[in-house]
Amino acid sequence: MEIIVCIKQVPAITEVRIDPETNTLVREGVEAAINPFDMYALEEGIRLRERYGGWTTVMSMGPSQAESALREALALGVDHAILLSDKAFAGADTLATAYTLACGIRKIGVYDIVICGLKTTDGDTGQVGPGLAEELGMPHVSYVRRIIDITGKTLLVERSLEDYYEEIEAPLPSLITVTKEINEPRLPSFKGKMAARKAPIEVWNSNDLGGVLDRFGIRGSPTQVMKVFNPQPRLKGELLQGNPKSQADQLVKRLVEKRLA
Amino acid sequence: MNYNKVNNEVLSSLIGFIGLENVKTDGATLEKYSYDETPHGLRALPEVVLKPENTEQVSRILSLAEQNRIPVTFRGQGTGLSLGAVPTSGGMLVSFERMNRILEVDEDNLMAVVEAGVVLQDLRREVEKRGLFYPADPGERTSMVGGNVGTNAGGMNCVKYGKVRDYVLGLEAVLPSGKILNLGGKVVKRSTGYELIHLIIGSEGTLAAVTKVTLKLIKLPSLFITLYVPFNTLQGAIKSVSEILRDRITPTAIEFVERDVILETENRIGKKMPNHDSEAYLIIRLDGDNDSLLYDEGEKISGVCLRNGAVDVLVADTKESQNNIWDIRSAFYEGIVKNKDVEVIDTAVPRSKIPEFILEVKNISSRYGVRILCFGHAGDGNIHIHPQRNDLSVEEWSKKLPKIMEEVYRTSKAYGGTISGEHGIGLAKKKYLQIGLDEEQIRIMKEIKKIFDPNNILNPNKIFDIDDSTELVR
Repeated sequence: MEIIVCIKQVPAITEVRIDPETNTLVREGVEAAINPFDMYALEEGIRLRERYGGWTTVMSMGPSQAESALREALALGVDHAILLSDKAFAGADTLATAYTLACGIRKIGVYDIVICGLKTTDGDTGQVGPGLAEELGMPHVSYVRRIIDITGKTLLVERSLEDYYEEIEAPLPSLITVTKEINEPRLPSFKGKMAARKAPIEVWNSNDLGGVLDRFGIRGSPTQVMKVFNPQPRLKGELLQGNPKSQADQLVKRLVEKRLA
Repeated sequence: MNYNKVNNEVLSSLIGFIGLENVKTDGATLEKYSYDETPHGLRALPEVVLKPENTEQVSRILSLAEQNRIPVTFRGQGTGLSLGAVPTSGGMLVSFERMNRILEVDEDNLMAVVEAGVVLQDLRREVEKRGLFYPADPGERTSMVGGNVGTNAGGMNCVKYGKVRDYVLGLEAVLPSGKILNLGGKVVKRSTGYELIHLIIGSEGTLAAVTKVTLKLIKLPSLFITLYVPFNTLQGAIKSVSEILRDRITPTAIEFVERDVILETENRIGKKMPNHDSEAYLIIRLDGDNDSLLYDEGEKISGVCLRNGAVDVLVADTKESQNNIWDIRSAFYEGIVKNKDVEVIDTAVPRSKIPEFILEVKNISSRYGVRILCFGHAGDGNIHIHPQRNDLSVEEWSKKLPKIMEEVYRTSKAYGGTISGEHGIGLAKKKYLQIGLDEEQIRIMKEIKKIFDPNNILNPNKIFDIDDSTELVR
């Protein structure tokens, strides 16, 4: 089975800071990490290979520093790493990102399943996975919380919804985006880490990908950010104190006061 | 020892010294200050809880106590594990919670001057902002600097960085007379008479009240990595430790733990270690400023562990993945002690003796039919040993436990070890002191106590009894 996992390098969660002037993420001098949701995608990609054989390839679009995210993925146990990196890719919105990744995946040529994290912690749109499936003209299932089985030419998965889950069968090749419930990501082994430190990382630029130049990067990005702001923090709930009886009494009193009971 | 009670006259003087709101005599407050974190530890109510704000106030409180022969117990955060801060003689309890100012981070001398009530994690955060490091890392990060000084606390980083004692360069301390001692200071070297600082460090509040501390800081290493190493046998894990040290590698920390401790902690705090299927684990932290040197050391350690039967060597190098491991590590104690009948034994042996010592502890466990879980600071020889009551009847447990403790202490002693590595003696381990120290040493300690505290008002009945009123295990 040929498995492709798409990942993004983002500021580490412990390091997230907002520039109070511009209301944008501070990215300079901040420790970077693989997008947390993508860790689940990687883990699932590695587990599928362990279960069904074949190859797992990891792909990322980003600046040259994103190489460290790919090394991390190699340390975890993926077989190949490809970085899509070019000045022409800079400033990409989710549409241009999906297009660029699609070009990369078409260049690889053979794939049975593409796995993405549900969304990124920096952009939080959840659009790139489904957009990528559209670009590639193949089906996708989002919010996958379990891969039940892959048999012959189909994929059977559980998809999380708010109050229930769906069991969905899709033909291969398909793309899935995965939630945190799907697995527990492993730590890399020291041996894997050492090998990954020296492993070659393939880098493809816009020439390598072919594709339409106008669809890469800022030129291929119709999204315009009008305004970025910090949401008002939600009001804190109130905690009723005392023994259960007194808490119940207080609650009833409040409800009556507010004409809710 | 005959002490006087805290009467109304004394109370009104105290109120005059520190204000009504800092003199507490209500039942709820007294109760809150009546115990520490010793499992199933004794509780004893103070007569009054005092919250001074500065050294001057501490001085006035102590001289009043001395004049009236009222016992005084000092308390930091109450996270001690040997009943050291429990006011067993009643009297006054002095809490340092309001003396929590970091007075200075001196970047020219690489030192910090802090009040006794500064919480360890606040201090660390403050100095780390400036690229400095206070490496003493007792498992309990909410403990206070004053309490750390009182027990000469240790923790995880001792293998490379030593104990609290190694970082204290100056102390301000108050004697029962109210006199204020200024010991040491910002000098790195000193060869000028007896080093009284080191008598007070580890004296568990029996010699003086520590009010200010000058601490040595070092450069914060820029890189940390953590190796998480599962083993199928306990002996394989333990044997690796001395081999790592013999290979001239000095990690920041080498912690050892048995699987059941991990499982019980995971259940309690709802976080998961990267692996919990093997019998025993080493958790090793390395620090440095050179990435490739760090990984070279990691490779050597990895080799030693794999030769000794490690199942794998996992590596955490992001802040998040490392924090996850160390947060769970910090909760081991809570994980296996809370809501259970457990004793905490804090022996330390020479590091080369750990394998034999643990084997002997496991023999004691099977001989008595009592489950004993171990974890601790394998890198410095300080292994925490936890006999658990489980299904034993209370009667059987209370019969067997003292015998187990005595045997473990004697075994530690026989291997050249000590009865407490970092928790202190307090009240909980007092009757075993004589296993750890010979009579002449204890006699000298008692004489020293009399010089500092002639009326025995400071934390009486802790470490030893001046009047030999406790029956000792000899």
